[in-house]
Amino acid sequence: MKLRMVGCSHHGSNVAMRERLAFTPDEAASALTAWRESHPGVEAVLLSTCNRVELYSASNGDQPVPQGSALAEHLATCHALPVDEISEQLVTLDGDAVVEHLFHVAASLDSMVVGEPQILSQVKQAYELACRLGSAGPHTHGCFQAALRVARRVASETALHRHRVSIPSVAIADFASNVFERFDDKQVLVIGAGEMADETLRYLHDEGARQFTIINRSPERSKALAQQWDADIAAWGDLHQELVRADLVISTTAASQPLVTLDNFREKIAGQRQQRPLFLLDLAMPRDFDPAIGDEIGTYLYSIDDLAAACDRNRKRREKELPLAEAIIAEETQQFLAEARLRTTSPLISQLRDEWNLIKQAELARLMHKLDPLDEQAANEITRFADRLVNKLLHPPMQSLRDEAASGKPTGLFEALRRLLQLKE
Amino acid sequence: MPGITLLCFAASYSVAFAIELAGLWVRFGWHRVAMIGMAIAGLVAHSLYLASIAAGDVAILSSPANWMLVVAWVLAALYLWVVFAAPGSAMGLFVLPLVLGLIALAKNTTYQPFADANAPQFWNWLHGSLLLLATVAVCVGFLAGLMYLIQSWRLKHKLPPSPRFRLPSLEKLARTNSRSLGISAVLVAGGFFSGVVLSRLKDGGNTDYHLLADPVVLSLLGMLLWLVVAEIFRLAYPAARQGRKVAYMTLASFGFLVITLLTFAMTGAHGGPTVPSDNPDRESTSMHGANPTKVRP
Repeated sequence: MKLRMVGCSHHGSNVAMRERLAFTPDEAASALTAWRESHPGVEAVLLSTCNRVELYSASNGDQPVPQGSALAEHLATCHALPVDEISEQLVTLDGDAVVEHLFHVAASLDSMVVGEPQILSQVKQAYELACRLGSAGPHTHGCFQAALRVARRVASETALHRHRVSIPSVAIADFASNVFERFDDKQVLVIGAGEMADETLRYLHDEGARQFTIINRSPERSKALAQQWDADIAAWGDLHQELVRADLVISTTAASQPLVTLDNFREKIAGQRQQRPLFLLDLAMPRDFDPAIGDEIGTYLYSIDDLAAACDRNRKRREKELPLAEAIIAEETQQFLAEARLRTTSPLISQLRDEWNLIKQAELARLMHKLDPLDEQAANEITRFADRLVNKLLHPPMQSLRDEAASGKPTGLFEALRRLLQLKE
Repeated sequence: MPGITLLCFAASYSVAFAIELAGLWVRFGWHRVAMIGMAIAGLVAHSLYLASIAAGDVAILSSPANWMLVVAWVLAALYLWVVFAAPGSAMGLFVLPLVLGLIALAKNTTYQPFADANAPQFWNWLHGSLLLLATVAVCVGFLAGLMYLIQSWRLKHKLPPSPRFRLPSLEKLARTNSRSLGISAVLVAGGFFSGVVLSRLKDGGNTDYHLLADPVVLSLLGMLLWLVVAEIFRLAYPAARQGRKVAYMTLASFGFLVITLLTFAMTGAHGGPTVPSDNPDRESTSMHGANPTKVRP
């Protein structure tokens, strides 16, 4: 297949490099538009997530697919970076390897958290953007549509996506959802503004939570997070009052001492809460909340250790599903490649059929001319005989081509047939 | 309907319960289908059984046994509704034992009709229906309370949810608890006072029956007083409006209900003479339904 992919992912590049190469949707659209202008007739799809940036390219018609260096240069140019600075971090894949890689990516087998569901929609969005801008073509259509189908098959036929493995996702989906029926009317308090808080907020937002308050010693850091999630900012001095108001608390500070002790909680918080349920997610190390607070009525306190055990359990369950998912990918890749190879032989098959049909018609005309006038039934019988003969003669070479395509590139047989039957290019 | 006995639907519910219980350890592809199939079969047989009673000459709520069977039927129907509305929840583990318990109680109590032949049909119906709904409300509250305590215990012990034993969220259970406590208080009060009116209308000057000497009335009064106190406590003390305290209150309400039902089952025809009569003819004419001899096995 005339396919090539150049990119970087969490496997081989650090966060700093991925951040430098990342594309927003608008930047991706500009990059694809620029690609069309600089490489007319060459297909391209750009996939950019927080864990990977990959530019897929395919040649249309007889045009050769651009070299990896051309793709790398395009990525560098879009970010105004010298290509030498990024080329060492980039990986290049060609042909069949691109298909296999894309199937793994879409099915979330190549993700940092194997089985995470977001990647499927990210691949779909990247493909749809390329379709909208006209940079996708027959090769990328086939490849990406197959990848989306394979990902859905892996999701439905394995339990890979059913077991959550990240700490915030387990905290929200497996525990907070068992305390609260809905999140849109719940007050969420975020203490600190770390990455974990950001990720937990994303899961809560996906579950419908909208009322966020951020409290942090440094107001600058909380402002950025508040802007991102449309949250309110509270003063550090109002911590206890905010804890009274909150239904769900995420704490991620780097404080060396607990922020809330059991006595604090009993004196300043518990009384005013009137035993209203409180979900406390203490992701700080050392912990921000005294573990004894978890024994108070109506309080459900979870620390990283509590959740890590659940994550590990889920990770082991997922690992059991991996061989099945890999088998599906292998089967689908083989089938896709066989079909793609077979498509490359179709012009030869059509040519062969057309030429033999011409010969058949010429010979039939000569025969009919030589014979005494035949009745209609006899003439039809002779015509059908000629059709059957041509079809039967064509069947073995076509079958051989199909078998060859299924097992690998049928280039040798393809050339042999062309030379043997004197078919012109 | 000929051929349908208590055993038919009790057996179906028992098999459904056994399948649900076995599902905690092992599940097959046909697990859910078999469980729902058995529960539906039980409910159909149960409905036909009650329909055959209603088609006869005895009113559907006219005897302690029938009354308990109707409560069991409502709970079984609620269970099936939950099975379809919230697939995957372990509701059968909680509801089906209660349904089976009520059927067992019905089996061991009398089909002899209540003694209220002289009372207007409306008050009979109102009294029976309100207490039936109150029983269902208390049972629902009890189940929600029980599930709340189990779910709360699991969350306190950081146990992740199991696909084989899924319970509703604490918020949903607390809301169900709270509502069922309020609703059951209103229904029990309605049932109790309609019973008082019924007693007045029925007996008139009959000195054989003393309301406060009837153990069923006394146990029902005890439950009503408890529910009123629980409601006042809930309204006066905000911390008791949610969480474990409401769960404990619904469990206690169920305790009162069990006492009432046992009294109901053991004393036979509630509403009959509480003073021994030396005139058997008079006793028989005071029974509701005009067919006091109709006793089912």
